[in-house]
Amino acid sequence: MAEVANTPRGKGVLLCIQCGRCSSSCPVARLTEEHNPRRLMEMVIMGFKKEVLPHQLPWYCLSCFTCLDRCPQGGDVGEVMFAIRNLAVRQGNVPAGVAGQAKALYETTRVINPVRSVLDKRESLGFSKISNEGLEEVQKILKKTGMEKIVSST
Amino acid sequence: MKYAFFLGCLIPARELSYEVSVRKVMPELGVELVDMKGANCCAPFSIQSVDYSSWMALAARDLAIAEEMGMDVMTLCNDCYESLLMVNNILKRNGELRNKVNELLSEVGKEFKGKITVKNLVDVLYGDVGLSKVKKAIKEPINGIRVGAQPGCHLTKPKRIHFEILRGFSELDSLVQATGVESVPYERKEMCCGGPLRDINDDMARQISRQKLSALKEAEVQAIVTVCPFCFLQLDLGQLEIKRHFNEEYNLPVIHFIELLRLGMGMKLEDWEIKAHRIPITELLKDRL
Repeated sequence: MAEVANTPRGKGVLLCIQCGRCSSSCPVARLTEEHNPRRLMEMVIMGFKKEVLPHQLPWYCLSCFTCLDRCPQGGDVGEVMFAIRNLAVRQGNVPAGVAGQAKALYETTRVINPVRSVLDKRESLGFSKISNEGLEEVQKILKKTGMEKIVSST
Repeated sequence: MKYAFFLGCLIPARELSYEVSVRKVMPELGVELVDMKGANCCAPFSIQSVDYSSWMALAARDLAIAEEMGMDVMTLCNDCYESLLMVNNILKRNGELRNKVNELLSEVGKEFKGKITVKNLVDVLYGDVGLSKVKKAIKEPINGIRVGAQPGCHLTKPKRIHFEILRGFSELDSLVQATGVESVPYERKEMCCGGPLRDINDDMARQISRQKLSALKEAEVQAIVTVCPFCFLQLDLGQLEIKRHFNEEYNLPVIHFIELLRLGMGMKLEDWEIKAHRIPITELLKDRL
């Protein structure tokens, strides 16, 4: 638990009283029993690192933040998810879609890039060019934060 | 009124029709949009899931660009809005974190000073342009259509993060109604479109969209009006995917709010813009296109 609680978005786990309001507000929990934010908080509190970090569990959250508005403790369950995911990623647990976006961002400054025909259309409309002008700066920053290493290892 | 225009990644890549309408409508309402040279991706939830400090630094870099321009930011996408708004709020209040982020930014000659505000299209139209001015601009109201407005999660949630500028459903509904259509209440209006799970768990994403679409169908709306480009994609393209996977047809046209405004102001959509809607809008808006 300390590992999660010591990260900037993970502090909320310390406030969790296991009331389950997050689970009852969660659109994903309504669909599948596999995703249960209250249980995930419990697993973090109990220190079930091996059961949480390599699993798909942290990746079910939509980040819709309904639970943030409803948690009576201000426990920020949806925020804690990011703390768990940051740790999971460092163990190599990262969905392909997320890894792809991180890679695109590092290589182009953008997570999604226009195809040729869209670029041509933009030009014909007289819109500003989609440039990678900030690329050098973005890569410099991401090398410093260590994200470059994560991107190249996934 | 002048804003640093934060376009994001999805709109210029996939939803050019959204951008066109914004660029056509806003100057008519006295809003000048200035492109942000060298801006990077806002670092949305996918990137935040990977690394916290990269999120902070990348969003702060964009905010620093807007500060150099001396303008507040206007975003279109709810994800861009949330990411930049959160980082702006956090760094304005947390000096220790701001120093850490500025240490990273100093490497590239930038600095976050905390001098500007982050707004989205709804904030700008409702708060800065003003509802009465928007109403006055509607020359040809679109009457007789029932729509369901989809605010998208991060226009209003989490509530405490939106303390700087609290805009929500009622503001969006007033703007939508100003165009002449009727914005009706429906179950699960607050609920997510399912989009964030796209590419992570597609089946789950589709099932959440289905819940939203059936609630809209039950409310007997004729169209869905979106602000966020992800909601647009998920509910428009999503209907084709749902048809393929679940053999269910909703046939609910999805329209960007700004397009509705443009039509109400008496402007026409071009053919390629009409075709950008995967669920055809021609039947519903045939007299207006």
